[in-house]
Amino acid sequence: MPDIFTSPNTSQETIEGNADALKEQKQKPFPIPTKSKTIDESTRHKLPGHSHNPIAAFCYYPDRVNFIQKDPQEKLVLMLRRHPITNAGWIFTALILLILPGFLSVLPAFEDLPANFQLVAIIIWYLLTASFVFEKFLGWFFNVNILTDERIFDVDFVNLIYREITDANIDQIQDVTVQLGGSIRTIFNYGNVVIQTAAEIPQIEFEAVPNPDKVANILRELRVEEETEKIEGRIR
Amino acid sequence: MEILSSLNTSGLLLLKIAILFSLLLYIVFSLVVVKQVNLMTDTLDVEIDRFIRFLANVQLIFVMGVFVFSLITL
Repeated sequence: MPDIFTSPNTSQETIEGNADALKEQKQKPFPIPTKSKTIDESTRHKLPGHSHNPIAAFCYYPDRVNFIQKDPQEKLVLMLRRHPITNAGWIFTALILLILPGFLSVLPAFEDLPANFQLVAIIIWYLLTASFVFEKFLGWFFNVNILTDERIFDVDFVNLIYREITDANIDQIQDVTVQLGGSIRTIFNYGNVVIQTAAEIPQIEFEAVPNPDKVANILRELRVEEETEKIEGRIR
Repeated sequence: MEILSSLNTSGLLLLKIAILFSLLLYIVFSLVVVKQVNLMTDTLDVEIDRFIRFLANVQLIFVMGVFVFSLITL
C-alpha cells in the first residue's frame, strides 16, 4: 500500500530544529552573559522580566543601575526588591494618617486651641505623615538584592544610619532554597530565596522577592555558567 | 479638656516653646534624612536618584519653612 503522505526531509529537519530551539528556550528562558557572549541593547529590551520601570521589584538586566562595589567588567543580571504588595501595610497606615486631621474637630481640646496653634498642629501632622511615607519608601526602594555574572549582593539599610552590604561569589553558592508559603505569598507569587554559601557569611537571604522560582532558575544558570568558565579556564 | 481650655498666656507660651523645640529636632532629623539619602544614592545609583535627593531636600526646606512660620505666627 503506497504512503498517503510522505513529509519532505527538509521540513522534518526544520521541525526538529525548531523543536530543539524551543527546547533550548524552555530550558534557558533567562540568557546569562559570558565573557565571550554579551547581550546587546535590543535583545535586552525584549527579554522576559526586563523592565523600564525605575521602581520595578523584579528587573532582569536593569538599564541604568550601578552600585558601590561593582567591578567595571562585572555585568548586572538581575535586581530585586521586596514585592510591592509588602508595602500595603504602611500605605494603609499613611492613608489613615492622612484622613485623621479631618476628624480633629470632634475633639473639644483641639477646638479650644487658638486658630494659629491649630493650623501649625495640622501642618506638623502632615509633615510627620510625609516623613513616615518617605522613610518607608526609602526603606523599600534601597533594600535591594543584586545578581551579577560574578557575585550576589544583598544591600540592607537597616535604619537611618546603618548600612549593610553582603556579597558572595557565584562559585561559592552551595545551596539555593525557595520558600513560598501562605495565601498572600501564593496569590502574588513572592517568597524568600535563601542562599547558602561557602563565604564568610554562610547565608544570604533575598526576602519577599517576586518570582522566587525564576530567581532560583537564574541563580542556577549563573552557577552552571561559572562552572563552565572554570572548566574552560575563562576565570576573571 | 478642662486643662487645655484653661490655658492662659503662659501656658500657650510653653506650648509654643515645645512646638519650636520639636521642630528644631525635626530639622536635625531632616538633615539626617538628606545625609542618608545621599549615602543611599551613592551606594546604589539608579535612574531616579536625583528625584529622591530632590524630595529629601524639599522635605528639609519645608520643615525649615514650618519652623519660621511657627516662629512668626505663634
